[in-house]
Amino acid sequence: MKLVFHGGGHSDDNKDLNLEALRMCQDPDPVITYIPACSIDSEGDFLEFAKSFQDLGVGRFLYFPVDVPFDQTMLAQVLKSNIIHLSGGNTFYFLKTMRKAKLMPRLKEFVRSGGVLTGLSAGAIMMTPDISSAGYPDFDCDENDEHLKDLRALKLVNFEFFPHYRNSKRYESELRAQSRLIDYPIYAVPDGNGIVVESENTRFIGKAFCFYKGKKIVIGR
Amino acid sequence: MAHGRASKNVEDEYSSFDQLDGRHPLQKALPEMVVSYRARTRKGAKIAYFNFHLAKEMGLIPEDHPEIMNASLEKKLIETFSIIIINEYDDINGKKFPEKEIKPHKYMATRYLQLQHPNKMGKTSGDGRSVWNGQFKGKKGKVWDVSSCGSGATCLSPATAIQGKFFESGDPTISYGCGYSELDEGFATAFFSEIMHKNGYSTERALIVLDYGGNIGLTVRVHPNLLRPSHFFAWLKQSDHKALETLTTQWISQQVKNKAFVNLPKTKSAQYKLCLDWITEKFAKISARFEDDYIFCWLDWDGDNILMDGGIIDYGSIRQFGLFHSEYRYDDVERFSTTIVEQKQKAKYLVQTFAQMFDYLKTGQKKNIKDFASHSSMTRFDEIFEYQKDLNLLEKIGFDEKSRDTLISKYRSDVFEFRKIFSWFETSKSSEGLIEVADGVNRNAIYCMRDILREFPQLILARGKDQRLEAEEFIEIIRSSYANDADVKLTANLKQKIAQFQEGYLKLVDHVGKTSSILLAITMRSSVINKYDRVTGDAVTTVVDKVMNAKPKLKADDMYDVLREFTEFQNLDPDLKDVTTGAKKSNREKLMKTMVQIVREYREGL
Repeated sequence: MKLVFHGGGHSDDNKDLNLEALRMCQDPDPVITYIPACSIDSEGDFLEFAKSFQDLGVGRFLYFPVDVPFDQTMLAQVLKSNIIHLSGGNTFYFLKTMRKAKLMPRLKEFVRSGGVLTGLSAGAIMMTPDISSAGYPDFDCDENDEHLKDLRALKLVNFEFFPHYRNSKRYESELRAQSRLIDYPIYAVPDGNGIVVESENTRFIGKAFCFYKGKKIVIGR
Repeated sequence: MAHGRASKNVEDEYSSFDQLDGRHPLQKALPEMVVSYRARTRKGAKIAYFNFHLAKEMGLIPEDHPEIMNASLEKKLIETFSIIIINEYDDINGKKFPEKEIKPHKYMATRYLQLQHPNKMGKTSGDGRSVWNGQFKGKKGKVWDVSSCGSGATCLSPATAIQGKFFESGDPTISYGCGYSELDEGFATAFFSEIMHKNGYSTERALIVLDYGGNIGLTVRVHPNLLRPSHFFAWLKQSDHKALETLTTQWISQQVKNKAFVNLPKTKSAQYKLCLDWITEKFAKISARFEDDYIFCWLDWDGDNILMDGGIIDYGSIRQFGLFHSEYRYDDVERFSTTIVEQKQKAKYLVQTFAQMFDYLKTGQKKNIKDFASHSSMTRFDEIFEYQKDLNLLEKIGFDEKSRDTLISKYRSDVFEFRKIFSWFETSKSSEGLIEVADGVNRNAIYCMRDILREFPQLILARGKDQRLEAEEFIEIIRSSYANDADVKLTANLKQKIAQFQEGYLKLVDHVGKTSSILLAITMRSSVINKYDRVTGDAVTTVVDKVMNAKPKLKADDMYDVLREFTEFQNLDPDLKDVTTGAKKSNREKLMKTMVQIVREYREGL
């Protein structure tokens, strides 16, 4: 299993994590697919994403919005990519459209087959057991306009992911409280930082915070 | 104090609007071209939409003005633009209006040729429900013509010409001749024109839409020069050399002010040549672009529905198709419209008429229009048209400017060859034949060229430059919802065309650089240019319906923001595309999503 979780930020902030993804895919000329959380006005974000990898020597990209009809030819090609990136956006909308497009099992299979799956913010949350962390705290959460009740996600790891974390008291108290409700840790990661999961190993790139059973542990620098 | 700018008082801040008091240089220069009306304040107006961005561009409000409405601005806008003319009906029937409600200056309705009028000389036709608010002198000397649609019934409407009587403004017994416009019409103009403007078209733009309740509205339209060919052709038809010369002089003067013409020659003869060359180029380019962007603009011999620079005016007759529905004809009860491919001939005929007109101006003798069928401007029109078609295709594929220049200058024949095969797919039609659609007839196009242009470079890039799509894959991508299985049956001929398309495309790519680098650049540009969600005319109509339904909750500021977001969403220029800053959270988000859904639903339609 090869996964990269991005806490957030722009492409420049995520160079180290992008290099980790490239290292794991072990292909000198990889194909990277960009899946936007929502296709509305996502072309500009795709351009920025592709440019950041171009700077790292990558020259092959697929742009694959999933909330519009797509053809099987493109889907087949996407699933042959070396890296698939799930973008940031509204997590509830993203999960709903991924399910509707019947892509959840395909992505799991992609990861099982050795593909590198990366995600930023909402995209990273999609890789966890469920997307509850998108719904809190009240002052900084995604709107569940889709009225999604089944929040189960890809469940590729046994932790929750909280992106864009700011080390402040109000975030901390909310995350402590949330961590008491579940049996696995919540990793809270600020922009530009992230987590790399490679087989059984989990590594933190930059700073992260682990909330578990009401406790807070600082990880990394 | 408004906006915290304590150094300016409100009077000063919005005094620019005072220029728009009805006066326009044409009234003095060519009084016989206008019908001047007294106007009075029209009560009950609410601002439904105000285009802050355009107002700043014009210099009507300061650059740093917040894009929110305030009481002073609202008052000024209503004072300036909420007007209704005192027309012939009012005078005949002795209607009296309080003196304080009557504007100090007269507002003009202009005369121009219109084919739907019984008089084919332009003697009775023109602005039937519009008057001009005047000419605004803006930043850096640029001037803007401003007119209001829905400001009352003039004597130039078809209803007056046909029925031989004057109508009361708002007379419910007639529709088009009543002089009012509808609110949804105003919104449609605002939405469509801003999208066209964003994508590089010259167009009238909506500055403000006023709401009088009951779907009655008034739309203020703006352009650096609102004169149409039909304004000129009326005098040409009437063989009024003096009026034609005066109008042309006025127009040239405005072109100079707006820097559309620089280094104007001294002699009249040379000026006329410059004008004809300029118009020829504009009309050849715009008709090629209309065709390639699938824009239906009902052009005809009268030169109505278009501005002198080929700009779009009157969105009532404008459509943007999702596919190349090249056989669609609008049913206008008395006649069917032209098709999208017939526009070129109509545009060319307009240029021919201009050739006749400038010759008449130069010689004082009006020759037969047929004498100009082989005029040099006709050849030039064709050359520019063909050149522009090649350029448009390269742009649509996603080649950047440098690559386009290389291909055009060195490999034009390969471009032309690819255009032929591209066109073969683009013009392929459904075996269902001609069918009736909601407002006309059409034979459906069966291939979506945008989809193949978006996906082909990505797939070849991912698979490797020596790989090709299987014919079945190619068809799966390119077939539209209008195609049935019989339409896309893989015959030997179709397979050959698919192979030709791929080879022709990659040949062009090979000409301009390393295949993988060029395909990557094209992939990125094409994802914007050929995005899945491109608005169509039907989509705009439906979007406007949704906006109208949401309107009770939407203030003018919300409407402005919705329109700005929607316009940016429809910006297909890869060089100007903004990067979004994460998920948008606003009370308009739901409406925006609804509008996007509509765009998707109608993406292949009319």
